Amino acid sequence: MSAAALAMGANPLFSRAFPFPQTGSISLPGEDGMIVRSVRFFDLETPVEYFNTWLTPVPHFFVRNHMHEPSELEAGTWKLSVGGEVEKPLSLSLSDLARIETHSVVNTLECAGNGRGFQRPQVPGIQWGKGAVSTARFSGPRLRDVLQRAGVKSSGKHIMFRGLDEVPGKVPPFIRSIPIEKALDSDTLIATHMNGAPLTKHHGFPARALVPGWIGAASCKWLTEIKVLDSEFVGNFMSPGYRLPNQPIKPGDSLKPEDTHPVTSLNVKSVISGPLDGSALKAGRVSVHGTAWAGEADIAKVEISTDGGSNWTPAILGHEQARYAWRLWRHEFTAKRGDYTILSRATDTQGRVQPETPAWNPSGYLYNAVDEVKIHVA
Amino acid sequence: MLRSVTTRMCAIGILLALAVLVWAQEEKAHVIMGLQSPPPIRFQDTLPPGALQAKATTACTECHEARIILQQRLSKAAWIKEVDKMIKWGAVVDAADHDALVDYLSTNFAVDQPPYEAPRTTTIKKVLPK
Repeated sequence: MSAAALAMGANPLFSRAFPFPQTGSISLPGEDGMIVRSVRFFDLETPVEYFNTWLTPVPHFFVRNHMHEPSELEAGTWKLSVGGEVEKPLSLSLSDLARIETHSVVNTLECAGNGRGFQRPQVPGIQWGKGAVSTARFSGPRLRDVLQRAGVKSSGKHIMFRGLDEVPGKVPPFIRSIPIEKALDSDTLIATHMNGAPLTKHHGFPARALVPGWIGAASCKWLTEIKVLDSEFVGNFMSPGYRLPNQPIKPGDSLKPEDTHPVTSLNVKSVISGPLDGSALKAGRVSVHGTAWAGEADIAKVEISTDGGSNWTPAILGHEQARYAWRLWRHEFTAKRGDYTILSRATDTQGRVQPETPAWNPSGYLYNAVDEVKIHVA
Repeated sequence: MLRSVTTRMCAIGILLALAVLVWAQEEKAHVIMGLQSPPPIRFQDTLPPGALQAKATTACTECHEARIILQQRLSKAAWIKEVDKMIKWGAVVDAADHDALVDYLSTNFAVDQPPYEAPRTTTIKKVLPK
């Protein structure tokens, strides 16, 4: 296939193994300025300078895929099956879902591996920086309304999601499950819309799970099957994947499965969206701004230090807030000539505080160190 | 016999002419497309030179982009775990090449290598939704 045919073809994303040389930039409609962590599988990171709006525009919303995106998705023929430990198995079309009451949740979605690139010693995986996190208003029927229609038996304890991702080689399918309690929460959705528009392909069209406050991996994209199980799903992406050690361990220590637990809710974390690290500014008033989130908890405060951590001042939190959404924040100070190390540190309503150095773990999950930028003022 | 050869030559000539025509149309279309939409995404499927370059490329990039390897900075012990996991997941690696592949990866993508600089997608305002 020629480059021209590729440009005109159905979708170059799903073509495989083209030996193109690397170039400095990659053109991709509607995803401008995003950091390319991988094209195949498709993983885009949001640059921190985009964290200036409460809702992230969809083209700037980070993308995380473990597998190839589905090559064929047809809204008209798409079905969602609901089965397992239920009284009445269902097969729902997109129009069936549209007839169920819609609920909206503004949710900060963060990849469990966000910040993995900062872990030392390094661990394998996509080397995310600070931007595998974004916020959107997700809408669709509540998962519990669909489960109630199917009638969950008393034996049903976990809800399994299967997506339409295309699995290469002998890679285990990306199937995970969540406990029934979280599935029945009034804010857990089968989302069909994002920021008021139908989901785009990168974000799980035509429907995805939306498990608010939890790691992104819980919110299965291109949802095609919901199965009620009597116990946690057994598969690579439940164990050994997405588990944390119960006690801190050192690099090289062996870790038994029984000494781990699943990664679920997000950590408390803040990120500075400006000034950017390494920037040069003029002396005078400097605005430090960013965002902070805490999974299922709320942000209690964000503190800023402009002197490398000796003194801390509370930032002003933005007015826009929702239970599972990040809070924007800002702080101004007068900068004289010199070099500054600016830090941000969030505290949540559960009393969790962003640590200087998070505990190391073998997969680099939930990294949430106090954020830091260095600037020069002239 | 002579007539048959002439016919075949003519047929090949016509096919070649058609191929050139199709190619020219595609190139023309690409230029037109180029004005309206960005050029195609470029995959990074080039691994560093070395004795195992070709075999690593075949084994790894069948499923994923080389860029996923280029961004790793791991110890030899960690690379052994990764290679073994990928073989379990379908990567085709001859047992005789296993140790050399681990050496190739742990030499080129060691913890003390400078970090991989990820590129960015091009800013193209005109294709952003309103």
